[in-house]
Amino acid sequence: MKKITDERLAVQNLKNIRIAYIIQTLGIIAILAYDAITKGIDGMRENPLWLLLIVTAVVSAYLSMGVSVDYENDNINPKKSLGISLAVLVLISAVVGYFVTRADGSAVNGVIMGGILLVCGLIPVVYIYKLRTNRLDEDNEK
Amino acid sequence: MQNRVKIARIQAGLTQQQLADKIGVTRQTISLIEKASYNPTLKLCLDICHALHKTLDEVFWVEKENNEYEENYR
Repeated sequence: MKKITDERLAVQNLKNIRIAYIIQTLGIIAILAYDAITKGIDGMRENPLWLLLIVTAVVSAYLSMGVSVDYENDNINPKKSLGISLAVLVLISAVVGYFVTRADGSAVNGVIMGGILLVCGLIPVVYIYKLRTNRLDEDNEK
Repeated sequence: MQNRVKIARIQAGLTQQQLADKIGVTRQTISLIEKASYNPTLKLCLDICHALHKTLDEVFWVEKENNEYEENYR
C-alpha cells in the first residue's frame, strides 16, 4: 500500500479509525455486559477484555489531560495546584487508611491501603503538574 | 472557503490531475478545494501557490465580508 501523502485523506483515515474504535469499544462493553449478566460481576472481571477496557480508559484519560490543560485559565500556578492536590491526596489516603485500620483491626492493612491510594493518586497529580509547567515554559518563549 | 485555484490552474495550463501530481495529493482533493468544500491547511495552500507560481494573496485572499465586518466592529 502506498503511503498517504494527501492531508485530506490522512484526516479522513483518522476519522475512520475513530469510528472503528467506537464500534470496538461498544462491542467490548456489550461482551462484558453479557458476561456480567450470565456469570456475575466476578465472572466479568476474569475476562481479559475487562483489563483491556480499563487500560484503554486510563490511556484515553491521560491523553485527554494534555488537551484539557490547554483549556485552563492561564493564571493557574502549577506549584500551588500541586500543593493543594498533594494535601488533598494525603488527607484522603490517611482517612481511608485510618478507617481500614479501624475496620480490620490491623494497622498493616490500613497502611497498605493508604499507601496504594497515595501512590496511585500521585501519578496523575505529578503528570498534570508536568504538563502545566511544560505549558508555562512554552508560553514564556513567546 | 472561496478561492481562485481553478482560475490560477487554468491560467497555468494544468489539469486537476497534473496539479495534484505536482503537489502529491489526489485529484479529488484539488476538486474539493476548487469547489470550496474542503479547507486546506496552510502548508497545502503554499504548495499549490508554489506549483502555480502565484502568491497566497493572489490565490486565496478574500476580503472580509461587509456584514461580518460590521458585526465585529460595531
